[in-house]
Amino acid sequence: MAEKVKLFVNGQEVEVEAGKNLIDAFGAVGIEIPHLCYHPALGADGNCRMCLVGIEDGRPPLVPACKTKVAEGMKVQLDAEKIKKIQRDIMELELINHPIDCPICDQAGECKLQDYYMRYDGKPSRMTVKPVLKAKKMDFGCDVVHDQERCVLCARCVRFTRLVTKTGELGIVNRTDYARVNIFPGRPLNNRYALNVVDLCPVGAMTSRDFRFKQRAWFLTKSPSICQGCSKGCNIFIDHNREKYKDDVIYRFRPRLNEKVNGYFMCDEGRMTYKQENDNRLIAPQVNGREAGFAEAIEAVRRAISGATKTAVLVSPNASLEQIFSIRQFAASINAALSGYSDGYIKAGDGDDFLIQDDKSANRAAFTLLNIDDSKAGFDAAINGADLLINFQNDLGRSLAEDQLASVLANAKLIAISSAATGCTAKSAVAVPVASYSEDSGSLINCDGRLQRYEIAVAKNQPLKSLIEVTNLIGGEIANNQEARAGLQAAVAVLKDIDLEQIPAEGIALTESEVAHVAA
Amino acid sequence: MQVQVLSARFDIPDANKIDVAKQHGAYSTLEKVFAMQPEEIIEVVKASGLRGRGGAGFPTGLKWSFLPKNIDKPVYLAVNSDESEPATFKDRYILVRDPHMLIEGIIICCYAIKSHAAYIYIRGEYTTQVKVLQAAIDEAYAAGYLGESVAGHDYKLDVTVHRGAGAYVCGEETALLESIEGRKGQPRSKPPFPAVEGLYGCPTIINNVQSIGSLPFILTNGPDAYKAYGTEKSPGTHLFGISGLVKKPGMYELPLGLPLLEVIEKVAGGVRDGRTLKGVIPGGSSTPVLTPEEAQTVTLDYESMAAHKTMFGSGGIVVLDNTVDMVKLVENLIYFYHHESCGQCTPCREGLGWMLKIVRKIIRGEGTTADIDLLTELCDNIEMKTVCVLSAACTMSTRSYLNKFRHEFEAYVAGGAPTQAAM
Repeated sequence: MAEKVKLFVNGQEVEVEAGKNLIDAFGAVGIEIPHLCYHPALGADGNCRMCLVGIEDGRPPLVPACKTKVAEGMKVQLDAEKIKKIQRDIMELELINHPIDCPICDQAGECKLQDYYMRYDGKPSRMTVKPVLKAKKMDFGCDVVHDQERCVLCARCVRFTRLVTKTGELGIVNRTDYARVNIFPGRPLNNRYALNVVDLCPVGAMTSRDFRFKQRAWFLTKSPSICQGCSKGCNIFIDHNREKYKDDVIYRFRPRLNEKVNGYFMCDEGRMTYKQENDNRLIAPQVNGREAGFAEAIEAVRRAISGATKTAVLVSPNASLEQIFSIRQFAASINAALSGYSDGYIKAGDGDDFLIQDDKSANRAAFTLLNIDDSKAGFDAAINGADLLINFQNDLGRSLAEDQLASVLANAKLIAISSAATGCTAKSAVAVPVASYSEDSGSLINCDGRLQRYEIAVAKNQPLKSLIEVTNLIGGEIANNQEARAGLQAAVAVLKDIDLEQIPAEGIALTESEVAHVAA
Repeated sequence: MQVQVLSARFDIPDANKIDVAKQHGAYSTLEKVFAMQPEEIIEVVKASGLRGRGGAGFPTGLKWSFLPKNIDKPVYLAVNSDESEPATFKDRYILVRDPHMLIEGIIICCYAIKSHAAYIYIRGEYTTQVKVLQAAIDEAYAAGYLGESVAGHDYKLDVTVHRGAGAYVCGEETALLESIEGRKGQPRSKPPFPAVEGLYGCPTIINNVQSIGSLPFILTNGPDAYKAYGTEKSPGTHLFGISGLVKKPGMYELPLGLPLLEVIEKVAGGVRDGRTLKGVIPGGSSTPVLTPEEAQTVTLDYESMAAHKTMFGSGGIVVLDNTVDMVKLVENLIYFYHHESCGQCTPCREGLGWMLKIVRKIIRGEGTTADIDLLTELCDNIEMKTVCVLSAACTMSTRSYLNKFRHEFEAYVAGGAPTQAAM
């Protein structure tokens, strides 16, 4: 456990973690110090002055909490009238030149200015002179749209491009109340993490072109999940909403803090993969190119399996640990050769040294754990002489060119078990839709060997069966995640001591030390 | 009343040239200085009671002693020559009339604080001054007073002139450092203080031109000779810039401690005939104004100014007579500080602009009593809530006019500009 110090807040003794600043240390024990410019990932800048607190017997008596470390015996005043007045005054000053256009602002509902006004100010405006007018809806590039009038000049976005992406596209130009965030002329945002400035912005000054005007923040359900855009497994919130008479739709992904994986951030490409959960989905089962009932499709699959002389099973590197285990069991039960071939998911050289990985699949590490061959040679051997190919979620069109795919399908009948409508499902004899990861739960192992869990986020009006259920229906033995986890625990040594039903929020590194630690 | 300590060579033709300056004693202290230990010099400066001449009046020798001992980082000297406070025009005389006094002072200071690199941060608008100063530095290098071996001693010193780009806030010592480092001139949060972590993260001493310029006299004549001038707690002499509505505005060197009104009368010739004194800004635009009654008892030293709830400041005295419209003066004042706010901290960035608009509203005849009260309250709401004291410079002075000349604001609110009689 981290070292603790005892200090006094408003005269009450409080024990907090040592070495932290007042904002973080107090925040961890549920005491809020309002702040706009400070962000744990970007450090203290001290410009907003909202976090000024009193230190009894201190020199100076008034300090910015973001720049002040906790100390044993320190006497911090948060509720003194002079501190409350400072907070009220700073809010008033933040708002005099703010357009107060909350009704048309995307940030409304998750805006620090709104929250703090309600909590720390609540006074009517005394502004009787013309406010400063600045530029609006500026295209900053990377689908970031900036409103200078809403900006509180906290410089979080500026610091993000300097400290995190090190691209430095943003700066604050001019002084005094002419100061504004801007790009250099003709040099827009140009980095693969740019949309993080939208999350970082405490107010509605930075908006995402993709999300603008789509939903009010308070209607969105914010469900924790894991991004499947690449093998990093960034922790995310899936923000979704079921509008009246409509289906549950995802409107955006936002990064969710996990110090062990992605910190506070995620990449723009990953952020946009939410669209794949909404669009181009395989909804209706198909048999021989026509829509069919679910039972009919399952029956068609069972018939195809019993009639085949040699069956190959292809599994996706995006499938969850539980799904892969179930499919492996299923393939073995019908004596089918199993392949995880998915070279097309790897974009060599695309990764960087921050979050983005070459491997665009979420769970390839599970292949290693479960001894699944994902080589081209393995796939060729599996498909050689096969007259049936059952494809679980694998978008084979990414790995094979059109003519290669055609030659594979010339000999083998294709059955697609898929959440997405792809080129492969269109060519299949039978296509069975399954739930996608936002509608399912499961475990993933990321590129660093960290085991993480995602739970069901979205509940569709017409829920699709999970992949494990479908596998079970076509002959697999495992019926659900619980059975899969029990099987995994029995079969895989490294998982033996882990309670797969209770994966901690930060995940578990599948290294001996951490596994042992959790087990203990 | 006038004395010639710092200004001894000001009236000698071509004293900015090294040959002329040397004929009149420039660089003559160096032999004595290099015979001393650096710590001894610091003690001499402490004993002289020299206080920082940039405005804050912090004891110079004490400031030097804040440098951490036994450090493996270089120590820098930054000479603050940004002289931008309205009504202040003293350092420019040193830069042009006697730059070698400054260079000699820099050598003394750097030797004392064990620094081998000094930066002179000079106000961007000082184009003539920078030329004269650079020529003098070049001469000093050629004559061996700067460079690898200062005056033949085993001591290396380089002096670099860094020009500002026209920002008042760069006179704030940490904004000055940011600017030298090539960044936007914005004050840093303190701590850490520059003596610990200053220029390029290294211990740095920042002194005003006049403070540094006082060193050759102190080292040549000893601390007691310096303390012979001025008062016990405010020893020495100061270059006062007297401006405003007086008969003989100008720069005058005076010992500290003289009565303010006597100086205005005898040195600057008093207010013009037929006019009466309305107020005095004692030390640059940021210092709270004094009424004629208060001015009666003020003497030109740090303690007397503080006792009268104002500040000695930079020695820039502005004399205001009965023709001055205090509301318009305040507008001009806030206009300046608003324009010069770096825009970093919320209160200063947003608040000064608001104050300016309220004053203008009052001047337009659209103001109300509530606006005057709001203006007063804003002074409190903004002051000392920011990283640096720029906003306080504006609010402390504005508050003084609001308190002492409120009737003029009220006259505007009541209907139009105050009449002569009302003033």
